[in-house]
Amino acid sequence: MTCDYLVTYADGMDDVFKALADPTRRELLDALHESNGQTLSELEARFEMTRFGVMKHLKVLEGAGLLVTQRRGREKLHFLNPVPIRTIYERWVSKYAESWAAPLSQLKHDLEKEEER
Amino acid sequence: MNEQQPYAVIDGHGAMNVFEIYIKTTPERLWEAITDEEMRSKYSFGVGTVSEWTAGSEYKSGVPGAIEIAAGVNVEVDPPRRLVQTFTALWSDDVRAEGESRVTWEIEPVGSSCRLRVTHDQLSADANSELFGGWPMILSGLKTLLETGDLLDTPGSLRYAEAGS
Repeated sequence: MTCDYLVTYADGMDDVFKALADPTRRELLDALHESNGQTLSELEARFEMTRFGVMKHLKVLEGAGLLVTQRRGREKLHFLNPVPIRTIYERWVSKYAESWAAPLSQLKHDLEKEEER
Repeated sequence: MNEQQPYAVIDGHGAMNVFEIYIKTTPERLWEAITDEEMRSKYSFGVGTVSEWTAGSEYKSGVPGAIEIAAGVNVEVDPPRRLVQTFTALWSDDVRAEGESRVTWEIEPVGSSCRLRVTHDQLSADANSELFGGWPMILSGLKTLLETGDLLDTPGSLRYAEAGS
């Protein structure tokens, strides 16, 4: 539970922000955003860093729920999980987006009514 | 935290996307929220899903008389843990042309919460991202519904809710 907000963050929202507060980890997410479902070797090839270094960063991302792994055949694939970022969006942005969207849907309603006449 | 690897190896072909969320609820309630037409519509853009939920049965998602969203077959039905479905998107000519893919729902209890993983695979390599782009909003809305009883109010989250009325 975070503050008085009702939705729980089992992964810990702190973990999400800590994970994102590092340029290499953001680049790893970029790499998965570009091509989802990569092996450790594929990810490692993109960075001038030891395998251990990359693994350490992947572990942090996984702990924050931003990265999930799935076995397929013999391979372990890494996937970007955008859902925790979506919940952050819902928490803070939805209110503003809603007040922005409301007049727009009213406008749509009015215009369509106009058309019916 | 993610030390466990309870997920089965997923065989098969095609591009894959994986979505995961933790929800403070029981596997039974989560299963109900996925398979109950009315509950489902509350976090799926207002779109209900109808099925008998038996292995081999068909399902249809949409707003009757307004729009068809998706259809397919329930390949594996193992309440309240695992549901494997074929998925054919129907909401536009573009997505129809993508043909059939597969959606696997896996529920794993973790303490007083559940981890829900949705794996959408057997997609074409250059699949239209509309096919799987809705999952983050759907799963986030599912969490909000089960944990607070509220609905998301972000634009688009209930876009079809009034289409049938």
